[in-house]
Amino acid sequence: MSKRNNNIPFDQDNYTHNIDRNNERKLDRRGFMKTLVGAAGVFAVSSLPWGAVAAKELMGLGEKEYPNKKITDVSKIAIGDSVDFKFPGDHDDAILIRLSESKYVAYQNACTHLRCPVFWEKEDGEMICPCHHGKFDVNTGVPTAGPPRRPLPEIQVKVENGTVFAVKVKRYEA
Amino acid sequence: MKRSYIPVLILCAFLMMSIVFTQYMVHQYYFENYVTTLIFCGLNLLLFPAALYVYRKGVKTDA
Repeated sequence: MSKRNNNIPFDQDNYTHNIDRNNERKLDRRGFMKTLVGAAGVFAVSSLPWGAVAAKELMGLGEKEYPNKKITDVSKIAIGDSVDFKFPGDHDDAILIRLSESKYVAYQNACTHLRCPVFWEKEDGEMICPCHHGKFDVNTGVPTAGPPRRPLPEIQVKVENGTVFAVKVKRYEA
Repeated sequence: MKRSYIPVLILCAFLMMSIVFTQYMVHQYYFENYVTTLIFCGLNLLLFPAALYVYRKGVKTDA
């Protein structure tokens, strides 16, 4: 072996002289530790954006006041029915449910498991996510069955002059 | 050549802690406990240099 090193030209008919097949994929102790350190580095880097958005929220940049948004007219939604709308952004799906004459509840309806849309089942009286059969309590948004563990973010609503408005997204009370 | 497997075990523990901290951080973010999120983000960031230090030490002993 050592004869070949720095001995150009070596045997031209041997194209695989530099492949040491027996040890090529050997994972020794050092290589394994390197992998572990690298994985820890990946975790460290991937936690940076979470820290950044958390810091942003802490500094109050996330506490924007959104203008009240009209959802629907009272006359257009019967008791027990639901209406889909977007709040606060154009891509934040939400659902408004009229439970009684004067009781309205609204939630951001991305399931807290994997963000599938959550639907209102009038007959069963519960909110259901069809993806993995997560169920939510309609009065509070608390998950009652299935994989989700976190309540749906509730949206504060108000009724004025026969129109239902979305006011703001309530914060969790931890 | 004398090997020590203690650094390997320590690094395994560190990686496990990284995974746990990351998971916890993400959950606390969605629960809107932003201070807790920041704490675990910081812990995760500290784990990497610590792991690197343990690796260096571990490599030196078997030279």
